[in-house]
Amino acid sequence: MTRATSLTVLVGLSILAASHGCSDIASPARIAGYDWRLVVPYDSAGPREDTLSFHWPRSALPVRIWVEQDQYQVPDRVREGISRWKAAFLYGEWDAVLVADSNTAHVLIRTIEPPSPAAPSAIRFHAQALSCLGATDVDTVASRFQLRVPIRAYVYASVPAASDLTECLRTVAAHELGHTMGLFQHSDSAPDLMFAVPTAEGLTPRDISTVVKAYHYRPDMSPLRP
Amino acid sequence: MRLPATLLALCLPATLSGQARYTATVGLTAGTQLVKDQIFQTVRVGQKLAPTATLGVSLPVSARERAGLEVTFGFGRTRIKESGLPEADGPRYRTLSVTAGVQGPILDRLSLRASAGVLKYLADDSGIFRGGGPLLFLLGGGADFRLPVRGAVGLIARLRYDYQRFSTNALEAAGFSRSQDVHRLGLGLGVEYSP
Repeated sequence: MTRATSLTVLVGLSILAASHGCSDIASPARIAGYDWRLVVPYDSAGPREDTLSFHWPRSALPVRIWVEQDQYQVPDRVREGISRWKAAFLYGEWDAVLVADSNTAHVLIRTIEPPSPAAPSAIRFHAQALSCLGATDVDTVASRFQLRVPIRAYVYASVPAASDLTECLRTVAAHELGHTMGLFQHSDSAPDLMFAVPTAEGLTPRDISTVVKAYHYRPDMSPLRP
Repeated sequence: MRLPATLLALCLPATLSGQARYTATVGLTAGTQLVKDQIFQTVRVGQKLAPTATLGVSLPVSARERAGLEVTFGFGRTRIKESGLPEADGPRYRTLSVTAGVQGPILDRLSLRASAGVLKYLADDSGIFRGGGPLLFLLGGGADFRLPVRGAVGLIARLRYDYQRFSTNALEAAGFSRSQDVHRLGLGLGVEYSP
């Protein structure tokens, strides 16, 4: 036996020894988040509600987002929000890009005060910060198992001269992005980005845990493009 | 082939450069599971076949054996399997490894190699490879089959196996502990040059 052969046998034995015992990485115990699922009435004959989950399927990634240009650089704030949310994921569960053509977008973000919802069945989430506001309309259409695309969101200045307007728009843009990703409830904890009156600079561990769970929970709704 | 060989030869003492053997191969590497996570159900992160390119240099250390270095660059993509959800492609990754090894013949044109070295998962922009990974220790082995073609140039077919304990900075930041045993097997084809 040559030395190379002996060494090969030795390396083989070392690998066997090294891989003996605990051979799997240990996943972390994830903290409890908040409920993200959409509670939707589904029977006009009685007070019935259904709790439904949605996340963008991998086949739809990256989610295409169109943002209205304005004087407050909301598209830049949305880009920052995309980076924040994307960083929450380990396995590439979600990604998004800004697109120039609103006709091809999965999400439309306008920088005006929201008009009445485009569809009467839409559910609207509001975010209220000090100098800016946001809203997102989610329309589950009649069957409630489909989500009408594009999702419409609004991010706009309510106090245009405010000194903290940029920070406010950054927070509210990220908050509304959270809704467009499938977080269809508000957090009950003030530090979270998805609190109804958001002040968070970034995602909290609860926000991260919630969105990760949302993207590993079997979805009840699929996106529907008219 | 002559330029890299010349550059590598410059790094060697003149008496040794004449005995050096240089190799360049490209191939594919398969690997075992990288991560097993639990989020409602088990999430398994595997590896798709990864294209790899290897440069090597070796010198004789005895009448039959050679010692050498191999530098390998690989780039691949993960595959996510999760019950109840469609199987999907996951984050991409790039690896750079350097191994030192000893090889000796077991048959006429076939030689065996034992090696040890280090491997680094290079930083990517998102997912488990965001921030890259620590320097991982590699143990490995393999076999080379040589086919002389003309003069100093020959063809080479190369089989490589290595073992690592996988983790990344992003996984550690997310609270993962311990590491994952990862076994990889690669096949490469290329040329060798012995001046």
